[in-house]
Amino acid sequence: MFVQRRDFIQRCALASLTAALPLGALAAAQGLNYGGSAWLGHYPAYLAMSEGYLKEAGIVQDWQMFGTSSARMSAVMSGGVDIACTGIVSALALMSRGARHFSIIAIPENFGRVEGIVARNGIKSIADLKGKKLGVTFASSAHLLVLDVLDRAGFKPNDVTVLNVPAPELPAAMQSGQIDAAAAWTPQFDSILRQSGVTLLADDTRFSLYESHKVTPGPDVLVVRKAFAQKNPALVKAYLKAYFRASELLRDKPEEAARALSKLTQLPAEDQMASVKGAEWYTLAQQAQILQGPYMEGLQKLADLLVKHKQIDKAPVVKDWIDASFIGA
Amino acid sequence: MIAKPPSRAALLGTSAASVVLFLVVWEACCRAGLVDPIFLPPPSAVLAKALQMMGEGTLLGNVLASARRVMMGFLAATAIAIPLGIMLGTSTYARAAFDPILSFLRPLPSMSWIPLSLLWFGITETQKYSIVFMGTFAPALVYVIEATRNIDPLLIRAAQNLGASRWQVMKEVILPGSLAQILSGLKVILGLAWTCVISAELVAAREGLGFLIMNGKEFFQTEVVVLGMVLISITVLLTDFVFRLIENRVLRWQR
Repeated sequence: MFVQRRDFIQRCALASLTAALPLGALAAAQGLNYGGSAWLGHYPAYLAMSEGYLKEAGIVQDWQMFGTSSARMSAVMSGGVDIACTGIVSALALMSRGARHFSIIAIPENFGRVEGIVARNGIKSIADLKGKKLGVTFASSAHLLVLDVLDRAGFKPNDVTVLNVPAPELPAAMQSGQIDAAAAWTPQFDSILRQSGVTLLADDTRFSLYESHKVTPGPDVLVVRKAFAQKNPALVKAYLKAYFRASELLRDKPEEAARALSKLTQLPAEDQMASVKGAEWYTLAQQAQILQGPYMEGLQKLADLLVKHKQIDKAPVVKDWIDASFIGA
Repeated sequence: MIAKPPSRAALLGTSAASVVLFLVVWEACCRAGLVDPIFLPPPSAVLAKALQMMGEGTLLGNVLASARRVMMGFLAATAIAIPLGIMLGTSTYARAAFDPILSFLRPLPSMSWIPLSLLWFGITETQKYSIVFMGTFAPALVYVIEATRNIDPLLIRAAQNLGASRWQVMKEVILPGSLAQILSGLKVILGLAWTCVISAELVAAREGLGFLIMNGKEFFQTEVVVLGMVLISITVLLTDFVFRLIENRVLRWQR
């Protein structure tokens, strides 16, 4: 079949026009890179994406997976991630070094019963841990829980052998008897709790600051890269609206949320529901009070506690990193 | 006229001056604000951290812990790799039988052994030695096989024609002939062992240079990270120096 030159040009023009149409539509949407993982702190960001809330707001979220909060925060520092949920310990470590590259813009949730210290047969209380091996991932919120609980129980640093074990290895280490107790967070925490003969010695509600300020050892905070926020303030505001719409889904329709989240976490339905229900999901309306109220005092005390346990050199002034302007406060 | 070669003192002076210049430029860049100290701390901050840790008595403990793990894993790997490598290097059938296994083991990074080593040895020091062992054994074996195969076959045939037994050929021809290449290969493997110790100290370690670097990374203490890296380099240089002394002594006949 012969194609005339005019036909060829017409077809090319038509093809270019067809290809350009969706590109034009995409150009209207604004993109951002989100630093996530399967941890529950990222549920709102994932649901906002999977349920189409972000799309409705004209935002395209590129989901980047990170194994640890420190890796995620490194990406924020280097400009690879624009918005991320992170454990506060990593953020405080950077803040104590004077890093001004990011701001805390929201608190997604409060979890108290999805992290804790679990012991094997025969260990029934924190006091029984003397002389035993306890596995925990160093530099994590669970590590801070261990340091706090042992300190309050009157233990000296070497009374318990605290070993650095990556979170995914903890269930197997407990199962095989290599450690007598483990401090972990969901999903490993749930997995260890399902092992026979184990006892839950303490969860986050036993943390000193939870009792006084409802602050867990490693609360999650939503951070934004400062340079990105300064350039796109309207986008960040729109993002938060979609984000907290997802939080409402988690709070009001946990079954529906859990079903959607199973693609991210690969957890069995029952564990997924427990994980969703194990946290208190904050709304956008609550943010002003949280970011400017006693909760922040709790975060400041948490920074002081990290200094006490020699995790960071000096405590930063946490309120200097808070930016409540995007939640309309 | 032939130019006089530079003296040893002049060469040493040039090396020292380049190190000092590098440190001064690095420090100046940090102080001038060209480099954010969170991304790269100035040498003075690294030195201050080193002094602080020395004062607390933790610095040497970390170096010794890693050095012990490196040496145990390295010695175990070489103790098996040298005789096995010589055997494989001299026997075509043995090499044909072992080659597929070696080809499977050689590309595996030491980190990939962490899950299995945890199951096999638990959270123990043996587990850390095993990571260094697995990371160094296959490369050491390859070096020894190659060193053995590089022996001139004429020398072996000449020894055999003169009535040397298999053991005599091994002791008088193959071993002395391959020793220089084996030793230079082991120097490279020792450096590799130090990279393996970082993986080894990822799990259940409470001290060691790898632990120091990883823990420093978690808390963004970049001066601790750089200090750990510098200490690894210094320790490798020292062990390299010791290795060279041994090499000079063992291979005196070659000079």
